[in-house]
Amino acid sequence: MATDSQRAAAPAGEALDSVLQQNKIDVLYDQCAKAPQGTLFFQRDLSNMAVAENLNELIVLVQELVDMQLMKPMTFDGEPCWKLRTRQDAEKLRKLTSEERLLYHHIDQAQAEGIWTKALRLRTNMTPQAVNKCLKSLENKDLVQSVMSVKFPARKMYLLKHLRPSEDIAGGPWQSEGDFDMALIDTVSRIVEQLIQKETCVTVQPGYNNYDRSEAIAQKKAQRRAAQDIEDAPAVKPYHPPRHNKPRLVLSHDPKLPTAASLLEQIISLGIIRDKVIRESDMEQLLDMMVLEGRLEKIGATYRLALRPSDVEEGMNGFVDAPCGTCPVFDLCGDSGEISARTCVYFAEWLGTESEVV
Amino acid sequence: MSYAQRETPILAELCELLVEDIYGELAARVFSVLARHGRQTLSALNKASYLNSRQIKHGLVVLIQQHLIFHSASIEPHAASYEIDWQQAYGLVRYGRTLKSVEERFGDKAANVMSNLITLGHTRIQDLREAYFPPHTEESASGEEGANGALGDAKANGSLFVNGDTGMNGHANGTAPPKLNGVKRARPSDEEEVDGEYEDRVEDKTIKSVAELDSIIYHLMLQGWIVKVEWTQYLGPGDLHDITRQEAIESVNEGKLPHGTKEKEAVAYGILRRKREIRDEWLNVPQPTTRKRTSADSDLSRSNKRQRLAGPNNWAPRDDEVIVLDENLTIRANPEKMTVALRTDILVRLVRQLVGHVPATVYETMLRQIEANTPRCYDEWADPPPADTAAMANESVDARFLVTSREVAKNIDPSIDLLEGLDPHGIVLMTYSTSHVDKKGNIVPPIDPFNLSVDARARLIDKHITAIANHPFRFATWHSRAGFSQWRIDFPEIALSLIQHEIETTIAAGNERDKKYGVKLIRALKKKGKLDERQMGNVMMMPAAEIRSVVNGLTVRGFVQTQEIPKVERREAKHSFHLIWYDRQRAREKLLQDTYKGMVRALQRLKYEKETVAGLLAKAERTDVAGNEERWLSKGELEALKKWRGVQEKVLLQVSRMDEVVAVLRDFCGPLVSV
Ligand code: SF4
Repeated sequence: MATDSQRAAAPAGEALDSVLQQNKIDVLYDQCAKAPQGTLFFQRDLSNMAVAENLNELIVLVQELVDMQLMKPMTFDGEPCWKLRTRQDAEKLRKLTSEERLLYHHIDQAQAEGIWTKALRLRTNMTPQAVNKCLKSLENKDLVQSVMSVKFPARKMYLLKHLRPSEDIAGGPWQSEGDFDMALIDTVSRIVEQLIQKETCVTVQPGYNNYDRSEAIAQKKAQRRAAQDIEDAPAVKPYHPPRHNKPRLVLSHDPKLPTAASLLEQIISLGIIRDKVIRESDMEQLLDMMVLEGRLEKIGATYRLALRPSDVEEGMNGFVDAPCGTCPVFDLCGDSGEISARTCVYFAEWLGTESEVV
Repeated sequence: MSYAQRETPILAELCELLVEDIYGELAARVFSVLARHGRQTLSALNKASYLNSRQIKHGLVVLIQQHLIFHSASIEPHAASYEIDWQQAYGLVRYGRTLKSVEERFGDKAANVMSNLITLGHTRIQDLREAYFPPHTEESASGEEGANGALGDAKANGSLFVNGDTGMNGHANGTAPPKLNGVKRARPSDEEEVDGEYEDRVEDKTIKSVAELDSIIYHLMLQGWIVKVEWTQYLGPGDLHDITRQEAIESVNEGKLPHGTKEKEAVAYGILRRKREIRDEWLNVPQPTTRKRTSADSDLSRSNKRQRLAGPNNWAPRDDEVIVLDENLTIRANPEKMTVALRTDILVRLVRQLVGHVPATVYETMLRQIEANTPRCYDEWADPPPADTAAMANESVDARFLVTSREVAKNIDPSIDLLEGLDPHGIVLMTYSTSHVDKKGNIVPPIDPFNLSVDARARLIDKHITAIANHPFRFATWHSRAGFSQWRIDFPEIALSLIQHEIETTIAAGNERDKKYGVKLIRALKKKGKLDERQMGNVMMMPAAEIRSVVNGLTVRGFVQTQEIPKVERREAKHSFHLIWYDRQRAREKLLQDTYKGMVRALQRLKYEKETVAGLLAKAERTDVAGNEERWLSKGELEALKKWRGVQEKVLLQVSRMDEVVAVLRDFCGPLVSV
């Protein structure tokens, strides 16, 4: 690699040389910039650009670029290589203090995974105050960003500004800024419900089978009553289905129940989620969550709507319907005394009676 | 020991209230001494109570007659011990329900017999016959005042529970004395009932002859609702265990105390087998004798035919014969059968709520068919399941627990519109109808739902069964193609879902947050086991802070537990995993005890309410007033009486609904292994 002694070895015509060198540096940078962003340049790539006369000169030029923060030295498979930075970034980096540069370096190394403040402190041996101060200034310069880790919710992770945080720290497509994106989840889950409904249910109108059944029913009843005796009591007590006067949603005759994959395909083709990649496993996560919410039911790998009869009120159980079931002083209530069934205000209200006054 | 036999203070309190209400103070005093002190001999009982020995004996007789206590007189004749049968004692709360269930299944007369049997406790056939047809007062045999009403003076008179209906039918019998052959019950569907018909029905409920009575009892025995009384039924769980253990040691281990795992296991299996044998023997119906039919006997041939199908060895009396039961046979109601019926009712209600009306009726038909072959909800003395599950999978399913769609099509109430709740396109296909579905989704021309072939009905029914089979609770499981398709009902699995459902329902009743997220959290934990906060977030897809508040709420209510596992040596909240988990057995137990407590409070309240109208009730029950309330009571008194009856009905209905919660939590499966 180039050293000061080598540079000192270029004796005469210094001014001219430096202008020439500056030119060559620019040429080399521009050549590299033609390649797609993020390209790694190995020594042979740079030689092939034929900017430098010889290897020594190339080494000098590259070192210049590195010093100017225009190039970032790296290694790939044990071989040295370089990556280009934009001129603006380089400009910013040049203005950093050495401590800031050190932190930047470590943050850069962590790439999309990000690095935890505490790890930064350990690696740099700086005081917490210094680290915080530097990080703040790096953030202000738009060089780095911080995100809260999803894996370790208490950790603040730092990574370079232009990078997208990895899934490990930022979570899947349903998360943003370290937390679940409730609005997005809400929207997509509603759409999922609509899609499943469209695919697997039919709406049945009240008079869909307008058969006059009163006569037939009366006839059957008469028959049954005539046949009734003690041993032959009806197996089931007579029951009249309530008359439906509202359209009802019922499962279609031979429904093709959707899977996570088929639903994902439809969601993607609807184009409602932009700049996020949703994989099948993400879709499954959402659908399984909806199962927990009681909105969907899972049958094998397929999903269907949890259809509930609309004409039955969702009954609680006998315990929680009674005053004691939701009583705030349940644990204090005794067989006698100030709080007891005799003095209970909740029972009095429930039964419309008076309680004993204590 | 049975899951229901475990005693807890609150259960003891509940049972004491029930005993006092039904059998009076003396029995209750003895009961409560036993409840407080556990198993006691007579002399110890004497010491522990302020009662004299005559009183104690009197109380014990009542309790024994009703099987509310076990005793060891048969094995320790000189110093018999007494202990409470908690299952039976709690079962007092189900008496009203038992009558209703029997009435629904076997009609009014059967309910009438059952009601008397329950009132009397265990009874000799001859005594029961005499109660109906007293030898000396032949002429009053069919009047309400006479023989059929002779039991009205029984101890249970005026009780809240034995007196039939706990208001489930929307009609409280109140405190009127029970009229044995004429208990008026409003049926849920008698909107078309006219008065004239009602009179006929009352007539119909009267049991007219000993032959008819015997036939009804015999039928109820075949169905498992009535069992004979055996001395082994009096043994407490400990005594029964000792006896069966001794027998098992004799039979499988040559009388030597078992050594080593292998012998111990063999004896353990032997004990279980012996207990099952003893218990199954209770259900054996002794074959009755017959006599020639006389012209006085009503037409019982229909029941003969039915008994031929259900009876042991297909035995049944010939058509020109009637059954005569052994007059010395002692019988009692079988509480285990009640629990089976209760399970049916609860499952049907749930399907009605969760799937729909028609599937619920279909399910009811299926369950009732299986009921006859189901002696109990689960076998607490079953052999432990075989270690390798392959062997279990191969185990053939008992054909008596299978139901085909075709059988349902034949048995279901014909007035049910089986088309309801189905896709019209499917209806047309399944009925092979020439109708079609128009653009608006209507079937044209309409299909007569009550004039379908059995095949079409079986197909429709199968569709409804599929709906309940696909529900997450797996109310039914497809078994084979027999009889269009054959279904099995996996009760143990369903029992677990029911417990979970009951817990979820209770959680949802907490507050808005619990309703929205508490249930979701419990389901997540049930599915995934222990989770830390981050995993919790990924499953529930909710912000950590919000989850934390839900967790806190449920921890306070005792439904979830949290655990801190330090990651570093110092124990610091920041450096620990916080695991959250949900122990279903623990939640089940907590909710069960709370429900007992809810029942206690409701009954205490009812007792208090009754005190406040005691004077009025005494007046209303006076013989000259009862039946003529309008004439003797003032308007205000009538109002107050009506109000009291409303209060009583409301509270008792609630108690009986709490009993359903208890049944779900306690009676349908044994203790769960905690995660
Ligand atoms: S009796 Fe009243 S105070 Fe006591 S637990 Fe019940 S509702 Fe609460």
